[in-house]
Amino acid sequence: MNEEETILVIDDEKQIRRLLELTLSASGYKVILSVNGKEGLIDAATNHPSLILLDLGLPDIDGQEILKKVREWYQKPVIILSVRDSEEEIIKALDNGANDYLTKPFRSGELLARIRAALRSGNDVSDSSEMTFGSITIDRVSHIVRKNNEILKLTATEFSLLLLLAKNSGRVLTHQYILKEVWGYGYIEQTQYLRVFVAQLRKKIEDNPSKPLLLITESGIGYRFGE
Amino acid sequence: MSLNLKHIKKKKATNYFLSSLIIISAVLLLRPLAATENYHVVSFILLFIVSILATFMGTGPVLMASTLSAILWNYFFIPPNFTFHIDKTEDILIFGLFFIIALVNGVLTTQVRNQEKLVRDREQRTNALFQLTKELSKASGIEEVLKVAVGEIRSHFQTDSFFILQDGENVLNNTGRLQRGKKLTPSEYNVAEWVFKNMEKAGAFTKNQPAVDTTFYPLPGAKVSPGVVAVKLKEQFKGDQLSYWDTFLAQISNALEREFLGEMAQRVRFLDESDRLYKTLFNSISHELRIPVATIMGASDSILNSTNPVNTQSALCNEIFTASLRLNRLIENLLNISRLESGHISARLDWYDINDLINKVADDLIDELKPFTLVIDVQEEMPLVKIDFGLMEQVLYNLLINSTQYAPPTSKIMLSLGYANETMIIKVADKGPGFPEKEIRHAFKKFFRVDGNKTGGLGLGLSIAKGFVEAHGGTISVENLKQGGTLFSILIPTEIPDIKNIQEPDYE
Repeated sequence: MNEEETILVIDDEKQIRRLLELTLSASGYKVILSVNGKEGLIDAATNHPSLILLDLGLPDIDGQEILKKVREWYQKPVIILSVRDSEEEIIKALDNGANDYLTKPFRSGELLARIRAALRSGNDVSDSSEMTFGSITIDRVSHIVRKNNEILKLTATEFSLLLLLAKNSGRVLTHQYILKEVWGYGYIEQTQYLRVFVAQLRKKIEDNPSKPLLLITESGIGYRFGE
Repeated sequence: MSLNLKHIKKKKATNYFLSSLIIISAVLLLRPLAATENYHVVSFILLFIVSILATFMGTGPVLMASTLSAILWNYFFIPPNFTFHIDKTEDILIFGLFFIIALVNGVLTTQVRNQEKLVRDREQRTNALFQLTKELSKASGIEEVLKVAVGEIRSHFQTDSFFILQDGENVLNNTGRLQRGKKLTPSEYNVAEWVFKNMEKAGAFTKNQPAVDTTFYPLPGAKVSPGVVAVKLKEQFKGDQLSYWDTFLAQISNALEREFLGEMAQRVRFLDESDRLYKTLFNSISHELRIPVATIMGASDSILNSTNPVNTQSALCNEIFTASLRLNRLIENLLNISRLESGHISARLDWYDINDLINKVADDLIDELKPFTLVIDVQEEMPLVKIDFGLMEQVLYNLLINSTQYAPPTSKIMLSLGYANETMIIKVADKGPGFPEKEIRHAFKKFFRVDGNKTGGLGLGLSIAKGFVEAHGGTISVENLKQGGTLFSILIPTEIPDIKNIQEPDYE
């Protein structure tokens, strides 16, 4: 890590806290542990962590409520770590402002990758006109997308879709959110549009469209973008 | 009740009045014959009138009519007129005979009529009972029997009835079945309970607790009594009607008892079944849980307590990881089967690119599939399909895991997807040993495991797959391939999206 990032873990399970502390410290993060929602809210306010790992099933306040409260003033990434695995719960958390969602049990490698992606997107608040993801470069001003320095021919919708995903890289965007942003409110239920354009976009930007590395599907939830 | 009695008395009084009126007017009409020799004819006419009266009036009025006509005939027609004296001996004889004939005629006619009414009533009751028996035998289930019973009681006894049934353990349920919203008051419930315990009627018109305005009758049963029936009667059942009511009740009770015993037998069967399931589940779960836990404990302990070379340590860690995956899968399967069992599964359909589904599953199973060659074949121009992603992911996951457990290492596992006739077709084939022919039909049964298989598992994977496919309105089947191996085929009905109008030109 180039500089020490602080991660706040809010989880009431001792074993999970210990595991996270070990794993995150080993990867060079500074870790703060909170055992319940109240403590977590105070720690978030006093320590200004770079990222919050939040459990939903806390003994005092429900994680979804904490998420809403934290989001009133906290702009940095929040990743949910929970045993709750229903699509409704996940979508609700994402709507409440979570960047990502991992269900327990999780693989540490996966968690670290998600944290890296979230931190990167959190830091990338610069208004630089160019964004780079692997072999893909997107110029927001000229609307030109290059793959390995060759210009890609994208349709208008494909470009807005790509731009939306790229601006939110490292973040899970729900189907509804993408449909609303790219097509408009009237299209929130038209998932088939999204599928068709994601498939088209993948053919253009992915090295192997059937094994996508940039535009990743989150089963039943939505999509995430990033290397 | 008092109202009813008054009504009956009034009716009787009018009958007496009517019969006297008819006789008196007949006598007045026949007055001109008094002075003639034909006064005997008058007696015949009066006798005729009395017998007519007997056909529609009770014994009392008829007796009165015959007495009155005899007296009036004597007074007005037998010479000397306007006296009760009779001159001729033959007239005395005729008067006597008249009196007797009028009496006998009247009384016999009414008796015949009563008899006839009795027979008619009996026939009606027999018919009603026959009808009841027929309806009851047609009814299946306690609710239906009760519906028939309440209906028949209303039409034959003109009263609402309320059944309070026992719960199967000889305790009356406080809320009776049927007639929703109606509940017994505590005092009524006490009476009902008393009736049920003592198998004796109680309540209104009985010697037990007559203060209540409802009458409670026990429902007799050969083995168990189904409960108690409560009725609100206007008056007490008497004589014939009482035995009619008893027979009626016995029929209903019989039918209820039949349903009751049926229900109990079913409950016992269900308990037996769940007991068996519980045992199987318990045995295999404890086994399935202990193996990975033992691995985790052993391997981690060995890492903690020794100075193994690094490669041994990482091999041990690998074992721990595999064991935890196995535990996780077990928990996942148990959760899924309980969701299926509780009926909480409903497919939430949305459009999906089938390639996403395959990628996700292949990715999740990357370690398990390593020893095999997974061949994926997706039909060209495969349309988007409407499925529940999470459920279908589990289906494919379970089928592929199943194949990895039976197929020999390095062999091919084939996964093919296509679309025809508004149906998505998924096939999973492996080169494993296949199912024993005798057992293949049990393949999708819960907790079924091929005899002598050493791969473990709870035998839930395939039954979960079946449940989830069925939640999509689809079917799943399994067959042994001739060239060896197993083939699972899934058919899921799905529409094709309307996406013709969303193509657009390139941006640049």
